Amino acid sequence: MGMLKEEDRKKLIDLFKAIKNQVKIIFFTQEMECMYCSATHDVLEEISSISDKVALEVHDFVTDAELAKKYGVDKIPATILIGEKDYGIHFYGVPGGYEFNVLIQNILNIGKRDAELSNDVLAELNKVDQPVHLQVLISPT
Amino acid sequence: MDFPDFSLDSSLFEEVKKPKNDETYDSIIIGGGPAAMTAAVYASRKMMNISIITKDFGGQVRETSEIENWIGFQNINAKDLADSFEEHVKSFDVPICLNCNVLEVTIEDHIFKVLTDDGNGYSGHSVIFATGKRHRPLGIPGEKGLVGRGLAYCATCDAPFYKGKKVVVAGGGNSAFTTAMDLTKVGAELTMVNFIKGWQADESLQERVKSTGNTTLLDYYEFVRIEGKDKVTGVIIKDRDKGEEKKITADGVFVEIGLLPNSDPVKNLAELNTQGEVVVDCLCRTNVEGLFGAGDVTTVPHKQIVISAGEGAKAALSAYNYLINNNII
Repeated sequence: MGMLKEEDRKKLIDLFKAIKNQVKIIFFTQEMECMYCSATHDVLEEISSISDKVALEVHDFVTDAELAKKYGVDKIPATILIGEKDYGIHFYGVPGGYEFNVLIQNILNIGKRDAELSNDVLAELNKVDQPVHLQVLISPT
Repeated sequence: MDFPDFSLDSSLFEEVKKPKNDETYDSIIIGGGPAAMTAAVYASRKMMNISIITKDFGGQVRETSEIENWIGFQNINAKDLADSFEEHVKSFDVPICLNCNVLEVTIEDHIFKVLTDDGNGYSGHSVIFATGKRHRPLGIPGEKGLVGRGLAYCATCDAPFYKGKKVVVAGGGNSAFTTAMDLTKVGAELTMVNFIKGWQADESLQERVKSTGNTTLLDYYEFVRIEGKDKVTGVIIKDRDKGEEKKITADGVFVEIGLLPNSDPVKNLAELNTQGEVVVDCLCRTNVEGLFGAGDVTTVPHKQIVISAGEGAKAALSAYNYLINNNII
């Protein structure tokens, strides 16, 4: 049995039809997967199997240390979403509960190359002239 | 701890229909507050072909916390009420242009054109203009650059950030004192500055704020400038009697000096009063045939949610009658 409910899988098939551009999910785990690494790995496999526009690339945090360093990954499970460039969208820990919806929304946004933000917000964001590191800490409870 | 599951919340992914550029709607509803949303419900129930163009849903309702005068509820959470309005409107499958700012409404050959800042234009046989009001700024140096950096216009949104901090509240009416109440609840040290001589707020509200013992009241002062580079560090105010300036050190400034109608898009089309409100009659008609106004943006007195909702209903029914009488539907 998969991680996704059948009704959610059907919904994702429908939602992913809107993806016009390639989305790459880079996932860092390790050989002896922790409980959350394993669950995250499984659900990402299922998500990527739904659309040929969504590809999953799995790396070992230990043996691919150079690549992990390149992406700034210092803990696992780490899920990175890439479009035509690295937007810096990283999920650490299991993207479950409410964050599962955020993960899906992010995949859709990247696939559509549309952040779905208003012109006002985009204009404000365009004023940011230096790198900003945003971290959102969440609890799945 | 339970293992977090991987379930979709379908409501987050509902695709809302977008209005079309090449269609002429029976009515275009501009706005997303109680007036606009009620108009949308009434128009939808009359089977009118409508679209909604709005920056957001909820309007000023989302800027307050609790509502105690929405009939049927002794007390209702403002966000819950706004969410229920939105859900009600969306149940009619109406095309909605969300995050859309309307630049101008024009009319040519009895067809209204609604132009938005993303370059789109939408056509309608009638328009229900219900864009509400926005906070009036102080209009002094330092204000623009410090919004969100210590300068705030919504206590419900931002008061919790000022726990134990020094805050100046601009204004002397009920909104200013309600803001003061929100700030004293989080333990802020307050200074209230009133431009007009004499505090305008209800006595009971004034007493509640004064009784906290943590508020300084400065009457008949004007704001000169807000100080701070990256964040507010203080304000300079001037005694309007003596002309003397003084500095108040502060971490935050909350501005509650009234509201301005969002009537710019129709300023070249409809009659406005001296306050910039759209002049309407008791059937929500403006001086332009087919253009109806509803809610806080209009001259209808007593800016209340329940009144705006009622006006929205009236505007939709008036638009319906207009369309029928002109053989459009």
